[in-house]
Amino acid sequence: MSTHRYFPPAPEHVPAALIHEFDIYRFSPGVNDPLEQWGNLLASDAPRIFYTHHNGGHWVFLDYEDVREGFRNDALFSTFQTPIPPIEPYPVMQPQGVDPPEHKKFRSLLAPLFTPVAVEKMRLELQQRSNALLDAFVDRGHCEFGRDFASLLPTGMFLYLMGMPEDRLMEFVHLAEVFMRSNDDAERATNIQQIYTVIGEYLAWRSTRLGEDLGSVLVKARDENGQPYDQQDVLNCGFLLFVAGLDTVTSTMTFIWRHLARNHAARRALTAIIDDREKLSVAVDELLRMHAVPNIYRRVKKDMVYRGITMRENDRVVLPVSVANRNESVFENADTIDLQREINNHLTFGAGPHRCVGSHLAKTEVTIALQEWLRRIPEFGVLADAEILGHMGPTLGFNRLPLSWTPAR
Amino acid sequence: MKVELMHDVCQGHARCQERCPEVFGTDEVEGKCVILQPDVPPELEHKARLGVKNCPEGALVITSG
Repeated sequence: MSTHRYFPPAPEHVPAALIHEFDIYRFSPGVNDPLEQWGNLLASDAPRIFYTHHNGGHWVFLDYEDVREGFRNDALFSTFQTPIPPIEPYPVMQPQGVDPPEHKKFRSLLAPLFTPVAVEKMRLELQQRSNALLDAFVDRGHCEFGRDFASLLPTGMFLYLMGMPEDRLMEFVHLAEVFMRSNDDAERATNIQQIYTVIGEYLAWRSTRLGEDLGSVLVKARDENGQPYDQQDVLNCGFLLFVAGLDTVTSTMTFIWRHLARNHAARRALTAIIDDREKLSVAVDELLRMHAVPNIYRRVKKDMVYRGITMRENDRVVLPVSVANRNESVFENADTIDLQREINNHLTFGAGPHRCVGSHLAKTEVTIALQEWLRRIPEFGVLADAEILGHMGPTLGFNRLPLSWTPAR
Repeated sequence: MKVELMHDVCQGHARCQERCPEVFGTDEVEGKCVILQPDVPPELEHKARLGVKNCPEGALVITSG
């Protein structure tokens, strides 16, 4: 197998006018909010499609229509071998890391487990888990939101769906965090191996006690000849399940709770509709629009001219969803959080063939967490003088969000 | 008012169902849209329109009314 088959070319084809200084892994001096770091691009003189030399060199699409095209047009933009900075070879996550039609093999396996009908059946479990987490600190009057709630809910749910023992919860929380937040190549490489080891051990264990859980579905999968799926592919699918729905949901919730902690009117508005499923769904979509954590990577499939710009095969492209979601021509008063926004085609869960298959579970986790939290802690704020540390990278987030409230008598 | 689905364009976002569950359901295989009432009764028209307009893929069409 030859190496460097998917490395980006030298940027000789990029005109100087399209080059803009931006590092997707670092803050500018004085900034520690990743939504702000990305949002500042909208007010800057950066071209709407620009190129940065950082991290191996890549394009960034700032416009909603281009981000949407990056998601939907798999003829132009591939999801195969897209890491930024470029690493070769890179694990081919299944189904996220392969283009149509090959992606259907694993997508069709996972999709039935995460449909709205399937997720509806998880609501009670999520309500119980949310309340169990709240029980631990509601009377204390303060918490560290990530450590005490937002990292534990999605990770616990993942363990539940896989039928894994809860005593591995903190281990998994840590592994998922390092994967999404580390800036250190050596640490990342070790972390990837550790996650593979966990998944491999789990799948081997699961093969000896098959059931109806998520892991059993992977192990039981058979192709049209009745053969098990390729073992590396199954491992890579397990890997995706592990990393895709843990830290992302944690970071999304942390952003949303930060907004609510600072915004009395938003807390009141949500509390008023807390039992109205349709209105709450509209409100949660707006919170998801303005707190979109993913930056999605694509790779140009063939030399082309896109919107008058020459792009070469293997050029990397970053689709910053948080920026697309603030586009003024698509969203009226785009920078205002309108919890009753009628038309809201946000791209928080992507679009096209790789639309986040876990989107319904993610949205339900956020919604139920909001309902249970606001019932028991309707008023809360950010703990005074707390330093909130954000992080950049493939997902945006905060590392700490200390909250406080007056406990009920 | 009549609504139609372009099934191949649908990617299962299910926002149509969230806005108007009376008209838009979802299947249990891919989570894609299933039109429950292609002839939308007048009292559901406003919600059904929101269901159509909130499809990020543009997979739903109003064909009359």
